[in-house]
Amino acid sequence: VKGKRLIPTRAALTLTPSAVQRIKKLLESKPECIGLKIGVKHRGCNGLSYTLEYTEKKSAMDEEVVQDGVRVLIDQKAQLTLLGTEMDYQESKLASEFVFNNPNIKGTCGCGESFSI
Amino acid sequence: LLIQTVGVREGWGRYRGPSCTYSLARHFSAAKLKSEQFSDVLQISDSCTQRLKEIATNDLPFLRICVEGGGCSGFQYKFDMDKTINEDDRVFEKNGAKVVVDETSLEYVKGSTVDYHEELIRSAFRIISNPKAEHGCSCGSSFSVKID
Repeated sequence: VKGKRLIPTRAALTLTPSAVQRIKKLLESKPECIGLKIGVKHRGCNGLSYTLEYTEKKSAMDEEVVQDGVRVLIDQKAQLTLLGTEMDYQESKLASEFVFNNPNIKGTCGCGESFSI
Repeated sequence: LLIQTVGVREGWGRYRGPSCTYSLARHFSAAKLKSEQFSDVLQISDSCTQRLKEIATNDLPFLRICVEGGGCSGFQYKFDMDKTINEDDRVFEKNGAKVVVDETSLEYVKGSTVDYHEELIRSAFRIISNPKAEHGCSCGSSFSVKID
């Protein structure tokens, strides 16, 4: 068998270095967790908002993204909305938060917490 | 009615009656100021105190909160670190943590609590249990005012 071509696949989600660092730090304090799980929920004034939680096991339908040693799982329902998203972590004195730069969205709420696709 | 109004005001520490007596109550601005001295009109939570101690520097020693028009519900809160106290500012202090609100904004945040909320996805200052706010945006940064 020859000519088996490997098609490079893009990860469903990319993490910025600051996000990787933050997730590493978060997971250090929770050794029983394998990673973080991202989901979306119908909530907020623009339809959808992101959720983030610790996860101890991977469900069958979760998409797994491993980058620089950290594992992030994407909930089955969130996979379509999150495809191609860059996850960033921004920190300032007043607020520190994970920011999702999502190319699929059509509009966001003023605060950026809720969005529509 | 006048006597009753004064009684209510003193009893509660600050005005909480129906709006029809509000114009009357405004004549008692001296009494209003006095009663406000007794009750701290802006509460500061322990987590807020702790966070402020961590981030306050000599250059920017206190947290300023102001209310602006904007956001999806009409008004929104703005948080900033600041160093100058203006004439119309009110200063609230708890265990060395200072929060400053100008008089105009204070009208909209009276009786609420400043909190520093930490969760996995986001940690930020926020205003909670604002008696003046009707409903807010999911993020809590925007709200609409109760019309009474």
